[in-house]
Order: sequence, then C-alpha cells, then structure tokens
Amino acid sequence: MRDLYQRLDLPPDANQQAIAKAIEHCQHNTLKQDAAAVLGIPEHRLAYDQLHATLSDIGQLRSRLGLTHGAHWQGSVANDFSLPPDQTRSCQDDLAERISRAAMLYNRWQRFRVSGLLVATLLTVAGMSLAAGLAWAMRLASA
Amino acid sequence: MSTARFSPFELLLLNSRSQVDTAILLLLAWVLVQRQHISEGQRRRRLAQVSAHFRHGHELGPVMQIAHQQDMQAIQLAAEIVHRECSPTRSMKVIQQAIVVAGDNGNLCHANHYILHFLADLLNITPDTLTTLYKELTGTHLEAPGDMSTQAYWRQYDPHHDERQAQQQAAAEKARADAAATAQQREHERQERRAEKQRKRQERADRKAEVRAQREKAKQEKARQAQTRREQKRQENAQRKKAHQENARQEQYRKDQHQHSRQEGARQAPTDRTARALAVLGLRPGASHSEIRRAYRKMAQLHHPDRFFSQSDQQIALASARFQRIKNAYDYLSQRGERS
Repeated sequence: MRDLYQRLDLPPDANQQAIAKAIEHCQHNTLKQDAAAVLGIPEHRLAYDQLHATLSDIGQLRSRLGLTHGAHWQGSVANDFSLPPDQTRSCQDDLAERISRAAMLYNRWQRFRVSGLLVATLLTVAGMSLAAGLAWAMRLASA
Repeated sequence: MSTARFSPFELLLLNSRSQVDTAILLLLAWVLVQRQHISEGQRRRRLAQVSAHFRHGHELGPVMQIAHQQDMQAIQLAAEIVHRECSPTRSMKVIQQAIVVAGDNGNLCHANHYILHFLADLLNITPDTLTTLYKELTGTHLEAPGDMSTQAYWRQYDPHHDERQAQQQAAAEKARADAAATAQQREHERQERRAEKQRKRQERADRKAEVRAQREKAKQEKARQAQTRREQKRQENAQRKKAHQENARQEQYRKDQHQHSRQEGARQAPTDRTARALAVLGLRPGASHSEIRRAYRKMAQLHHPDRFFSQSDQQIALASARFQRIKNAYDYLSQRGERS
C-alpha cells in the first residue's frame, strides 16, 4: 500500500480542502486518480486512514527493532512505510535502567533512614535545650 | 536516562511471573484488537483460550486495555522482549497462536495481514514458513491484500459507490427542486397575499374617497346654503339700505319742500297736474308766474293754428290740438296761481 499523504506531501490529518487542492495540483495522472478515489471520498478515506495508522506504527516498530530489511517487506507495496533505522534506545534497556535507578534510590533512602533518624533526634534535643537556656536567660535579665 | 513514570505495561511486566508470556499476550491482544466484527467478550475468550498454558499470573483485562489504547511504547517493549527471549520453538508456537487469533475462519483483515508479517519478521520466520503455517491452520492461502490506495481497489470492493453517489446527487437534485418548488409556491402565496392586501387597500381608499366626496358635497351644500343665506342677507341689507336711503331721500325731500315752502311763503307743494302742465309749457317745476306767462306767449305764437293755414288740414288740426293743450295748461296754471 502506498502512502498517499507522503506522496501528495500532506500531513495525515489534513482537512478535505487541503486534500482537494493537493489532488488538483498533482502532476502524476495515476496518483491523481487514486488519491481522488481514496482521499476524496470520506468513507474510503476513513478506512484508508485506519490502515495507514497501523502501517505507520509497524514501520516505526520495524525501524526501532532493527527489522528494516526483513524478507517479508522485500518488493512489497508497503515499502512506503519502511523508515530508516532508528537509533533510539530500546524500551527494554530503558526499563532496566529505570528499574536499577529506582532500586538505587530505594537503597539510599533505606540507608538514610537509619542515620537520618539519629540526626533528627540529636537536632531535636539540641533545639529544645537551646530554647530552655534562652528562656532562663530572659528571666534572669528581667529579674 | 528517562524521567518518565513507569507505564501500566511496565508495571504489569514487573508483576508478571513470566515477562515473555506477558509480552506475547500483549502482541496477541494487539492482533485481536484489529479485528472489526467481534465483540469484546469474544476477544477476551479467544485470548484466554490461546493463553491457557501461559505462566504470566495476572489478569487479561489490563493487557486488553493497553492493546485498545494502541500504546506503541508498550508494544515496542513487548516486541523487544519477544525478539530477544523467544527460542525458535517458542517462536513457532507464537506465530501459530497469532494466526489463530488473527483469523480463524480465513477472514484476515488488512491490518492483521501486515501485523502477521511483522510478527513473522520479528520471530525470525521466513515468508514461506508463514504461508505454509497459514494454509495449515486456516485452510486458505495467505494472499496479499488489495491495495487500498488505488482506485481499482475501491472499484472492486465498493462498486456501488458510484450508484450511491448518483443516488445522492439525484436526491440532492430532488431536494433542490423541491426547495425551489416550495419557494415558488411561497412566492406565489406571497404575491396573492400582496394582491389581496392591495385590493383591500384599494377598497379602503375607495370607501374613504366616497366618504370624503360625501363630506365634500355636504360642505359644498352648506357653503351654497351659506352663500344663499349671505346673498339673502345682502339683499335684505341692500333693501334695508335702499329703504333707508329712500326714507332718507323722502325725508330730505320733505325737508327740502318744507324749507322751500317756508322760503317761498304760501306756496303749495306742486301736484302731478301742475308738473304736467309745466312740462307742456317746457318749464321745470317751481317756475315763477312771469316765467309761465312768457313761456305761454312763446308757445302760443309757435303753435297757433293760423300759422299753419297754408298747410294741410291735418297739420292744422294737429296744431290746433297742440295749441289747445298749451292753452289748457296755461289756463290751469293761471287759475292755480290766482287761487294760491
């Protein structure tokens, strides 16, 4: 299946007027007829758009999974949807990294909780004694 | 390093007893979701049947939900897991399950055709193996679906479109014609109403004009009456004035007479006969006695019949009659003068 939007240089969510204009200005005779029969008619366009979305998704998946040159797509009409290999990080690696980071944070929190509790207790005691000392000094001064 | 939160599918994977099974479940759910003509319950049942021997250990509901959302991140993650961790035997099993789920009665939709190819590619299964498996499992050939981006495809699968369009056009035409007819009708009605209104207005105007004419007539009548009355009044006035003048004149005359008689001593007011006699003598009323005698002598010389004796008898007769009248007048005047 051809990507008519790509061939007409249109975004997939183009409105009907933009499509009509693009079809009118199309120089390729067959493409013009096909586009008029598919995109020019709302119910045909709806069906085409659904399949177009699925094929775009598959094309993206293939490019990200390194399946760009699989035997199944050789000479296929779906070649319009074959994208160049995408060097983004794989989702699984990303997930593993996030899990390890989460685990590290958890461990750090656990360590901090022990020492943190001790520090918090000391700070509280010091603060209370300081307040008491201040109050005593004030009373002395006023007396 | 990503800062995103853990997605539902990632949490599901962390909870799963077998990550591979969970990933395969998601891919099968993705295939199921593409099928159009089955209910949600049928999809769940089909997924449960296929995953009878799986060891995932969690509900199928969340998996179906993620598949419905078409979460491509999750599907990519699942595909990566399957790609890395499936043994060749397991791969075979997975593609069989996918074929069963995609179309057990041979109806493979376009999207699932491409998804099956993708899964076969992912699981390192050659196209030949895929077609063979498909033939074994469904009894039909795995054929390339029609190209939805061509005119020919739509001519084949939607042949009635032109008819429908023609019908729609006809309906639109008819609607337009109806609208035009109604508009015409309405226009006609409006015109009728306008004519009616016009007529009524005309009638009203006529009636008004009639009333006005009547009023005009009455006014004219009144004016004429007033005119007549005025005329009468004027006449009356004139008469009265005349009478007044007459009176005044008589008064004046009487006064004059009175004054005259007082001036001339014992002189009577001249009577009709006196005036006539004076006229015969060619004198005006109020002529003196000497004047009368002198006038008589002159007239008697002028009209004496002896002056006409040479002329005809008729002339003489006429002259004697004239002389007689003059003599009678003088006699009357002299008698009156002697009496007064």
